Parts: sequence; structure tokens; C-alpha cells
Amino acid sequence: MHELSIACEIFEQVKLTAETHGATEVKHVTLQMGRLSHTNPEQLGFCFKVLAEGSIAEKAEFIVEMMPLSLECECGYAGTVDEKQIHENNGLKSELLAYVAAIECPVCGKPAHITGGRELIIKSIEIETEEDQAAASNNT
Amino acid sequence: MLMHVIHMGHDVFKANDKIAEKNRKVLNKHGVFSVNVMGAIGSGKTTLIEEAIKHLKDRYRIAVIAGDVIAEMDASRFRKLGVPTIPVNTGKECHLDAKLVEKALGEIDLDNTDLLIIENVGNLICPVDFKLGEHLRVVIVSVTEGDDIILKHPVIFKTSELAVINKVDIADAVDVDAEKMKEDILSLNPDVPVILTSKHDWESLETWISFIELGLKKSTEQF
Repeated sequence: MHELSIACEIFEQVKLTAETHGATEVKHVTLQMGRLSHTNPEQLGFCFKVLAEGSIAEKAEFIVEMMPLSLECECGYAGTVDEKQIHENNGLKSELLAYVAAIECPVCGKPAHITGGRELIIKSIEIETEEDQAAASNNT
Repeated sequence: MLMHVIHMGHDVFKANDKIAEKNRKVLNKHGVFSVNVMGAIGSGKTTLIEEAIKHLKDRYRIAVIAGDVIAEMDASRFRKLGVPTIPVNTGKECHLDAKLVEKALGEIDLDNTDLLIIENVGNLICPVDFKLGEHLRVVIVSVTEGDDIILKHPVIFKTSELAVINKVDIADAVDVDAEKMKEDILSLNPDVPVILTSKHDWESLETWISFIELGLKKSTEQF
């Protein structure tokens, strides 16, 4: 269970960035998570929600975008793994196992080096500022 | 309603990786070769580390970082062998991270250390995402975890540089085929050296210890 410590880091970064930009509320938090990261998106979202209680991010929607694996091969190939192809070619039941076992270069077939897929990136946040709220109330 | 999207691009694991890189530089500067020993609970990590210490301590200056939920128990086992040991309590956390190791490095006399062994928390999942700055990543499993343990935890075997299957002397008793486990590891990571060990078979322990010594010698040339 390391989702809580990761969620703490995310919450701190989100809060810091939001406050620096004069936010009164955080509406969305968007993450990008590599397929090989050993982190559970639902648990992470739950931990974030608990941490954000009573803060400006309390009502934020927590969005996780999954990122494909990227490879590099001796033959010069560099690219991402075609997820659909992995599922079609692989009889293995575990999704994670399929990702790991099928890491062969799509060009030459040799085992390729994994260059991406374990990242966990806070991509962006969407915030509302005091001015936004004032503008909104003027319009009504 | 007008809203602001702020692009952050902050990689949570990269933040750890950066500290890990810093740790590696500190280790290199002091000529310390470090091994991150990961593995399942009860797989024999502490015992195999003890054996390595016993047989290397006359030739190399060794220090240990013992990471665990309650680290003192293993730490006292290492101290009995006369090596400086820093216990790192991870509390409710399931892995060591680079920050914890960075702090522990401050408590070690690195100028008088050749080999730093870091025993990670017993777990095949969480330590995978957190580099520590080590030179060699080792994964240890034992036959008692069952011979499907490898395919259930593929990433740790894919990303390790040495794999150890321990307690092979009791494989028959627990109805496990150690060779199948080896094949599974090689199917995930064809280039990784796989060694089968038992604490009752000195020859197998010698192989384990020789791998650490080989890494040590190789990296000493590069420091």
C-alpha cells in the first residue's frame, strides 16, 4: 500500500501550484500513469480525496490517463507498444504480464529495452480564482 | 465560466529518481558499491546477506542499511557480525525510497566503506517503482512462495540484474519445481543471471557471494 505516500506527494504539489496561481478552488487534477507503474488508480484517487478534505482541492475531480509502454531496440526502433496487438497476440491472462512478456521489438523481434511506462506524472490542474468567481457572480 | 488549466508535468517517480541519482553520485565519489536486495517476505534475504557479510568482511569494509516496518530485528543480526548497520523504519510504508536512503547515507562512514548492502522491505511489488541509487538490483524469492510467484510479479524480475531462488533444498517438500521458476524468470528477462541457493549448500552460497564480489570488482574499476 504505497498509494497514500504517493497521494501525499501529489496533494502537496497540487496545493502548492494552485496556491501559487491564486486558486480558490481546484476543479480537476489530471495524472498520467504508465502501464508498468505498480500503483492502483482507484486507490490513489481515494487517498487523494481523503487528503484533500477541507482544502481547496476538496471537490476536485481526479482523472488518471493510462500511458502506453515505450521501447527502444538495438536495431534502431523506438516507439510505443501497440496495446491492441499485445492483447490479440498474447494468450496470457494477466494484463501486466502481457505487457512485460511481450516486450519484443516489433521490427526485428529481439527483446527491446523499456524506456517508458513506469511514470506517474501530474499532468495538469484546472483551477478557479477569485477573479473568476467575481466575474461569474457579475454575470448572474 | 472561465477556468485556468495549469500544466505541471511533475513526475512523482522522477522526483525519487533524481534523489536516487544523487545517492549514486555520492556512492561513486566515495568508491562504495551498493546492492539493493529486494524480495518476498521470508524468502531468506537477511540470511543470504548474513552469509555474504561473513565471507566478504575480511576483504571488504561493509555497511548495511536494513529497511523494514520494524528494522531493528534484522539490524541487530547484522551488527552481531561486526558491520555498521543503519536500521530504517518504514513504518506503514511498504518500500524504501531514495529519500530514506539519502538520510541513512549521512549516518554511514562512506570513506571507510567498500560495499553497502541495502535490505529492502519484504515485498515484490512496491520496491519496484523506487530506485535507491544502487549499482546492483537483486531479487530473492524462495520455493516456499510457490512456483507461480514469478509470473504473478513480472516487473520486479524484468527490472532486476540478479535473481536468486532460495531454499531449493526443500523444493520437493513444498511440491515446487525450482527449475520451472528459473525458466519463468528467464522468459521475462533472458539476460538476467539466475542462481539457485540453499543455506545448507555452501557451493550455492559461494555462487551468490561471488556475484556480489564480481559486481564490486567491476565497479571499483570504474570509480
